[in-house]
Amino acid sequence: MRRDLLVYGGAVLVAVLVGLALAAGGGAAPDVAGRALWDGMFGSPYAFGSALNTTAVLALIATGFTIAHRAGLVNVGGEGQMALGGIAATAVGVSLPAGTPAVLALTALLIAGFAGGALWAGVAAWLRVRRGVNEVITTLLLNFVGLCLVLLAVHEEALLRQPVTSADTLPQSEPLVEAARLPLLGPPESPATIAIVLAAVSVIVAALLLRHTATGTRLTAVGMSEPAAARLGLPVGRLQAGSLAVAGGLAGVAGATLIATVPYVLAEHFTSGYGFTGLVVGLLARGSLTAVAGISLAFGLLASGGINLQLAAGVPAASVQVVQSVLIICVAGAVIFRKGAAR
Amino acid sequence: MEPALELTGVGKTFGEVRALDAVDLTVRAGEVHCVLGENGAGKSTLCNLVFGSAALDEGEMRLYGAPYRPRRPAEALRLGVAMVHQHFSLVPELTVGENLLLAERARLRPPDLTGRVKAIEEEYGLAVDLAAPVAGLPVGERQSVEIVKCLLRDPRLLLLDEPTAVLGPAEVRALLATCRRVAETGRAVVLVTHKLGEVERAGDAATVLRGGKVAGSGPLAGFSRDELVRLMVGRELADLDPLLAAGLDATEAPAPRTPRETAGEPVARLRGLRLRSDHGPDVLDGVDLELRAGEIVGVAGVEGNGQSELVAVLSGALSADEGVFELDGVDLTRAAPAVRTAAGLGVIPEDRHHEGCVTGMSVAENLFLGRLREFRRFGLLDRKAMRAGAARAVAEHGIRASGPDAPLHTLSGGNQQKVVVARELALDPLRLLIAAQPTRGLDIGAVDAVLTRVRDAAARGAAVLVVSSELAELLTLCDRVMVAYRGRLLGPVAPDAPGARDEIGKLMLGAAT
Repeated sequence: MRRDLLVYGGAVLVAVLVGLALAAGGGAAPDVAGRALWDGMFGSPYAFGSALNTTAVLALIATGFTIAHRAGLVNVGGEGQMALGGIAATAVGVSLPAGTPAVLALTALLIAGFAGGALWAGVAAWLRVRRGVNEVITTLLLNFVGLCLVLLAVHEEALLRQPVTSADTLPQSEPLVEAARLPLLGPPESPATIAIVLAAVSVIVAALLLRHTATGTRLTAVGMSEPAAARLGLPVGRLQAGSLAVAGGLAGVAGATLIATVPYVLAEHFTSGYGFTGLVVGLLARGSLTAVAGISLAFGLLASGGINLQLAAGVPAASVQVVQSVLIICVAGAVIFRKGAAR
Repeated sequence: MEPALELTGVGKTFGEVRALDAVDLTVRAGEVHCVLGENGAGKSTLCNLVFGSAALDEGEMRLYGAPYRPRRPAEALRLGVAMVHQHFSLVPELTVGENLLLAERARLRPPDLTGRVKAIEEEYGLAVDLAAPVAGLPVGERQSVEIVKCLLRDPRLLLLDEPTAVLGPAEVRALLATCRRVAETGRAVVLVTHKLGEVERAGDAATVLRGGKVAGSGPLAGFSRDELVRLMVGRELADLDPLLAAGLDATEAPAPRTPRETAGEPVARLRGLRLRSDHGPDVLDGVDLELRAGEIVGVAGVEGNGQSELVAVLSGALSADEGVFELDGVDLTRAAPAVRTAAGLGVIPEDRHHEGCVTGMSVAENLFLGRLREFRRFGLLDRKAMRAGAARAVAEHGIRASGPDAPLHTLSGGNQQKVVVARELALDPLRLLIAAQPTRGLDIGAVDAVLTRVRDAAARGAAVLVVSSELAELLTLCDRVMVAYRGRLLGPVAPDAPGARDEIGKLMLGAAT
């Protein structure tokens, strides 16, 4: 435990130093860059609110990753599953009749998102369980198919593209009906939606499921020893497929929350790589849902801080991604190093 | 003359386990030196140190007088130390000649190989067919290839780690004769084993390890058999269960189990079970067997003759291509493992770590993984009830663990196996128990506990099928012994019949057919 803190602390320290060096290279004094980053995280209700929205997306994906990982599967398909969840949510969100009550509309939207992501992960799950195809490869490749489906959907009028009225019509969907938009949390000027509540509930339910239910124990057994679990009569295939589908479903919900937030449309590249960042959160958390919550928040804050870093201090926002990468290399490297030493 | 290999005060620690402690060992050139000890006594660690697979923590080693501290096997080989491993390292797809050339890298050209192998054949009487593909060779011949591979390097010291574990009786005799001949050419041979019978046939001197320490050493002529047993296990031979003594090969003819007066009704039927293989002959070639209530049936045989696959087919890990497996008249040939368990089939799998248990999970979780449904309360898992149930099983089976929540990997191998046995015997009803190599790798106390449980299961009316490579164990435990040979079951042999051991030995090598 103390060692873990040491590792995480050391990684953060190295990352901060690299970040300062990058800021200096970008022509910003350390204190200016630091203030810009801080302001971007906590400086305004807007900054903090958008950080929370990002946090929610990352936490949903990382929670799904952790559930599948417990059963021994590595889901690298968050991006594609988000895409499909987003498409499904849009399809529901633009076609609901105007008078639908918000509760109903939102429920339908989220269920559609979950179903879209789960179906997409289900393809990989089916291939894994029935055909023995490695899920890392299938989920990864399905990402690209999923992203292309978004392009197709927003470019085809027969699908989800808004009616083309002039040459300037953007390739995106119509905006969602009023009732299907995620309500704001409340604080003035904050864009934070109830997505963060949704994510928190998911993390807590997943933690309960994994630690305190028979299903969680079975998933752990399957993840640790497939042959032993099979010998003891556990439905190995069903557990694996189910966990991967839930992982996809949660990524799909993440996609749906992105669609149901400003500007309420399905557009090209709406997933913005969150699927991969969520995967990284899941990897760094190493099976702990507490860590999923903490790291998601840190990454969400860093993302919104990075934007302000560019706006206020003129340091490229990409430097925040560099800092994140350094963080990942440090933590992952420390884990591998310690495993190697223990051998 | 300087000793070929000399260890002084050698110690090795793995984590918190003291594998070797102040070990002294002197091996002279021209002798067969036996390193004796139970499983877990430190024999394998000793081999690894000498062959350079592990580095020693303290003490020193000398090879023919020179300080010796190999950092990797390649270095040991260069200095003239060769080792025959317990598990062979041959490429089955290649021929014998190709395998030998592979081991020699570029130092030997194919025309020279024939001459060298010929010379080895003349010197040691060890013949191998260079053109034969390894895949088609019986285990004994594969081992000959391994030994030739070592001798090609003209080693000064030859290490053999449990070389007889996979051999039939006649092959064991041939191997020991080879060891003698190698020693007679002035090389040193170290034979690592836990079988006393072999030691007496081949050894000049012995070093006995117990719990990582040297319990005794000296010329074999100076030890009586009883004394060796006492040194190995720390108890008198007379105090040992005859079964355990048999496991050590310490007594020639173990007292067989009294056969059951009246065999019960048939419980399980195996008819024409066949398992095809993508390459080569069928792995199971029509297995027929009937198991009666209260009866213990043994399956002997050299490893690789289909016995592992038979267990896999019966437990549901593999699916038979033909044939029927019935339990109480219910066809289970293609049933899922859960259905088999419900029908009363208990399985103690051959590979504990692979499918017997989940070592990362706790004792309680391992005991109840298949029946978690019974421990549900308000939709959540009732850990308290699981803990209580596990505590009962731990007490009843004498499992040594720090508690029901202890992860299984903190338990010794014997106690892990007791957990598996406890779980399988808890089945209600238990109609058929399949135990595959139930005592492999266990210390004597655990062997005793496990076998007692197996006997109890039979006494309570279950049919029991024991697959084991320990012939002596089968002879004392079983009512009849079948012999697996090339995918079929030969026999039965009655364990109490005179000459049962030789009869089984013949069947194992296919000599009786």
